[in-house]
Amino acid sequence: MSATPVLIDCDPGHDDAIALVMAHRSPDIDLLGVTTVCGNATLDRTTTNARRIMEFIGATDTPIAEGCREPLARPLVLGTADGPSGLDGTPDLPEASMALDERHAVDFIADTLASASEPITLVPTGPLTNIALFLLKYPHLKDRIGRIVLMGGAFYRRSEYITPTEFNIFCDPEAANIVVNSGVDVTMVGLDVTMHVLVEEPQFAELGKIDTPLGKVVLDWLAFYEKLHRGIMGVGGALHDPLALAVVIDPSLIETRPAHIAIDLTGSHMFGATVADFWNERGEGTNVTIATSVDSDRFFDLLYGLLRDERGV
Amino acid sequence: MNRIILDVDSAGDDILAILFALGRPDLKLEGVTSVTGAAGDIEQVTNVVLNTLSLAGRDDVPVAKGAYRPIVGNSKQDMEAPVHFEKRLQQRFGDRLKGFNPPAPTPSRQAMDGHAVDFIVDTVRASPGEISVVATGPQTNVAMALRYAPDLAEKVRQIIVLGGCFQTPGNITPVSEYNIWADPEAARVVLRSGAPVILVPLDVCEDNRVATSMLTRDDLNDLAQLYPGGKVAAYVRQTFPIYIDIWREFFGLVGFPLDDAIAIAAVTHPRFFEMSEPLFVDVALHERLVRGQTVAFRGNQILSFEGPATTRVCHGLDGAAFLKLFKGAIGALD
Repeated sequence: MSATPVLIDCDPGHDDAIALVMAHRSPDIDLLGVTTVCGNATLDRTTTNARRIMEFIGATDTPIAEGCREPLARPLVLGTADGPSGLDGTPDLPEASMALDERHAVDFIADTLASASEPITLVPTGPLTNIALFLLKYPHLKDRIGRIVLMGGAFYRRSEYITPTEFNIFCDPEAANIVVNSGVDVTMVGLDVTMHVLVEEPQFAELGKIDTPLGKVVLDWLAFYEKLHRGIMGVGGALHDPLALAVVIDPSLIETRPAHIAIDLTGSHMFGATVADFWNERGEGTNVTIATSVDSDRFFDLLYGLLRDERGV
Repeated sequence: MNRIILDVDSAGDDILAILFALGRPDLKLEGVTSVTGAAGDIEQVTNVVLNTLSLAGRDDVPVAKGAYRPIVGNSKQDMEAPVHFEKRLQQRFGDRLKGFNPPAPTPSRQAMDGHAVDFIVDTVRASPGEISVVATGPQTNVAMALRYAPDLAEKVRQIIVLGGCFQTPGNITPVSEYNIWADPEAARVVLRSGAPVILVPLDVCEDNRVATSMLTRDDLNDLAQLYPGGKVAAYVRQTFPIYIDIWREFFGLVGFPLDDAIAIAAVTHPRFFEMSEPLFVDVALHERLVRGQTVAFRGNQILSFEGPATTRVCHGLDGAAFLKLFKGAIGALD
């Protein structure tokens, strides 16, 4: 099977960074470009982080285009999971020097889709501002999207570690509302599954065996990320964004079910919550596919394999 | 010279606003952008713009097609309410209603390539501090442009927003005006952007306290007497009696309110208006009951709300002076 053409829209972010690494190294992914958005940190920082990451892994041929500075309809509320820089705890990363694509992310996505010979998979791992603005500005290119596999949402909330709202949706709920109701094939990889791919002692032990510059940087990222998570929630770092990317490589990592979801745009305690209707009580059919469970061990095997691969750094 | 981009949703008063802009010698119409709103879908709105410019012999004015939907919008049922309203009008006016928001015939030219957002951003960036954006429909295009190009807020001369209501009741709900209600999230982006805004609410358009600004049959007769040969004046005389009657009977106004043309006058003749100091103005997003309500913080209340004090709210208008200006502009067109 040929590699899947993918655009990643992200706000790196430690877990975004690992998703970028996986996409670059996977033979099953043809990474056509990276677009950046505000979220885990300000846009200047997420863009700088994306450049530093892509340079470090030798992906300077992959264009990076900068996107939206603020959510579609609200002031920016920054994420807190990655430190103020969005990528704290990584002293070994080079300063950014690779050039940015001159186009706005939204136009870059449009041009890439318009010139593609086959449908493209979008993998948004941050707030959905760029994707929504793209859908508003270029409705005629919607059909060029093969599918969207996004990190976002929480539906079953089966444990106390799964908060009522998930950050990417909370940060720009109006954008998420546009994306999930766009008619595009959308798979939501939400907290229900990402909170089961946790970096704990066994994972650190395996990662520690990867004695390469990349292995060391990934370990640095995760050490910082894990500490922050454990400080807040008492569990290890959840690899939210890498799981969304991994699902494109191997769809069998998750089980799914279709649903109609609505997003709370006006609530107080549940503002930004994704609320699933599994029984068609709203009478609106289905608009997304929700990830319901994940094979965590196989996800980590995929991650280790891609990191161990000798190619690149 | 006042240079404006007009962003319209092609209802009756949007058409008159385009013609008013073309007829004013002190104003350069850089282009017209279309937005989904009162007149229906984006194709209809865009076609009406193209046909209106054609009528005035101004096929040289750039037209860019804009947003096909609001950022969030409202329930399907509420969005379709104007259609049911037209059914009531149909019962009352019968065949005469065929002249009210008729489906646009195929225009003689097409809109330019590229989205309205690109036209707005490119035009404003090319002449920083020069361009006024006059938005007389829902604020979707302007909000998209501000999010796409945040530097617009500093580079635009001002944004005139036709929308909202304060002392005067709303026209879509008791507290909400249609343009704001149709895309409240977009209006909020504009009002919080930091760009200088003049808000022209219903208080100075759709209220009998400014009755002298409204179009009546007497004014159509004036146009006939003063400008007997003009094609555009003839079009206005022929098209607008039904609008006058609808607004008299169903909205209780003494004539057809020229909201969108009044918004343009806020650029060329600010002295016709009474305006507040720059205030923070916000929009209610909640629920059905108050969605789209405009709230101005004038500083006389106990609780304070944070936001940029950048919006001057119009609360008075010299209606007679405006209407004279309007008729002169229509008459100045062939």
